[in-house]
Amino acid sequence: MSLRLRLILLALSALVLVPGFGSVIGHIPGFGSEIPAYGELINRIGPAERQVANMVSAINFDIRGLDTLGEEFMLLAAIAGTVVLLRGQRGTDTADTAIRLPGRPLVPRAEAVTLVCRIFGPLIAVFGLYIVLHATVTPGGGFQGGVILASGTMLIYLGEGYAGWRRSVLSGWLDAMEGGGALVFTLCGLGPMLVGAAFMENLLPLGIYKDMLSGGLILIENLGVALAVTGGFTQLFLEFMEETREPAAGEDTPSE
Amino acid sequence: MTPIMSALPFCVAAWLFAIGLYGIVTSRNYIHLVGCLGVCQSATYVLLLAVGYRWDSVAPIFYDHPPGTPAVDPVVQALVLTDIVVGATLTALLLVMAIQVQKRRGTLDPEELAPMKEQQAADACKGRVAEPQR
Amino acid sequence: MSILLALLLLLAAVTGTGIVLVREPRRQVFAIAVNGLVLTLLFLALQAPDVALSELAVGTVVVPLLFLVAIASVRTSRAGEDA
Repeated sequence: MSLRLRLILLALSALVLVPGFGSVIGHIPGFGSEIPAYGELINRIGPAERQVANMVSAINFDIRGLDTLGEEFMLLAAIAGTVVLLRGQRGTDTADTAIRLPGRPLVPRAEAVTLVCRIFGPLIAVFGLYIVLHATVTPGGGFQGGVILASGTMLIYLGEGYAGWRRSVLSGWLDAMEGGGALVFTLCGLGPMLVGAAFMENLLPLGIYKDMLSGGLILIENLGVALAVTGGFTQLFLEFMEETREPAAGEDTPSE
Repeated sequence: MTPIMSALPFCVAAWLFAIGLYGIVTSRNYIHLVGCLGVCQSATYVLLLAVGYRWDSVAPIFYDHPPGTPAVDPVVQALVLTDIVVGATLTALLLVMAIQVQKRRGTLDPEELAPMKEQQAADACKGRVAEPQR
Repeated sequence: MSILLALLLLLAAVTGTGIVLVREPRRQVFAIAVNGLVLTLLFLALQAPDVALSELAVGTVVVPLLFLVAIASVRTSRAGEDA
């Protein structure tokens, strides 16, 4: 399909969609005038029902917990697909040398970089843990904290180099974290059914409002998500960084 | 200001979606295409958060404000929050597919990857259905 | 407040357009990171701190990093074929 034909198709579909869009803009409530009734209701009853200050966490892990379970499995499936595609081609061996474009100078890592990474690495880990643990009180939760923790591991790569990173970040552990997190979340859903309650019904003691340990089952589900996201994203980084290494000697890339 | 402002966020969302689509249509590089898809995705974030916003409302976190303070819609925020994180893993999957295409076919240009290109050219010359040629 | 929101919305539209119009993937990575930062500020202004935190971590760190690695992998495999 030529570029011209594509643009014509795009213009045609725009001709169909733009009037509909204009009509929608004309009829929906103006920006900032009102919010959907469902959210309004949750804001009204949520804090008293669940002893949770952060309504977003309450929705993610309790009120609409089933949807988050679906998201969690999407995350798992996407990461599994990525890892299969990357590992399927080059195997699980680790390579020693980095790929380089010919003629590119090799700049050694400065000591200052190592120092800064060693100072900030633990700080970022603590911050990530703080974000994870205070999911029910302040902005944050398993998703955000997990991504922060996973990004923090990249500082090991920056400061200690590739070999140091591979030594400290172990693929098997990451697999266990990723799958274990999803398992914890699923068990949180199935557990209440053993005592005759509904799927993912919040049976645990709800704790004290504005306390870190509030929300009952929300905390455990949050921990499960944090495990899965941390493990999954670090796994993603690991496999992607492995892609920047030279294939090991004797192992040819498949030629078609 | 007010009539413009009441439609602006929706128009921005529509513009982001349209420009992302334009980028996808005209892209000559799969990695660039994944970036354009990310623009389409950000349009949905802007749209959802705009639907759930209300003037003079606080964030739906009742720590500093007592419960009952008018707050914005937490449902759309929960939707967007999970979508951002899951979307990043899907971006990774698409990028890996782009890497695979480059490794197997030696190009990232969608035009050069058209599988039927040679076939169609052969058909046009002969005016009949050609046998698959090796 | 309303001015700030309008400004951030327009900035988000402009940086989003930038991602599309920057055709060279290596430069596009920077456009993506800038867009992530603008979206973070916009979400913060829309009273969504949870979403802003998520976008900050994903939009300015994770996604640009994945793009950089993909570009590095693609460029070197092309160089390998030429050699």
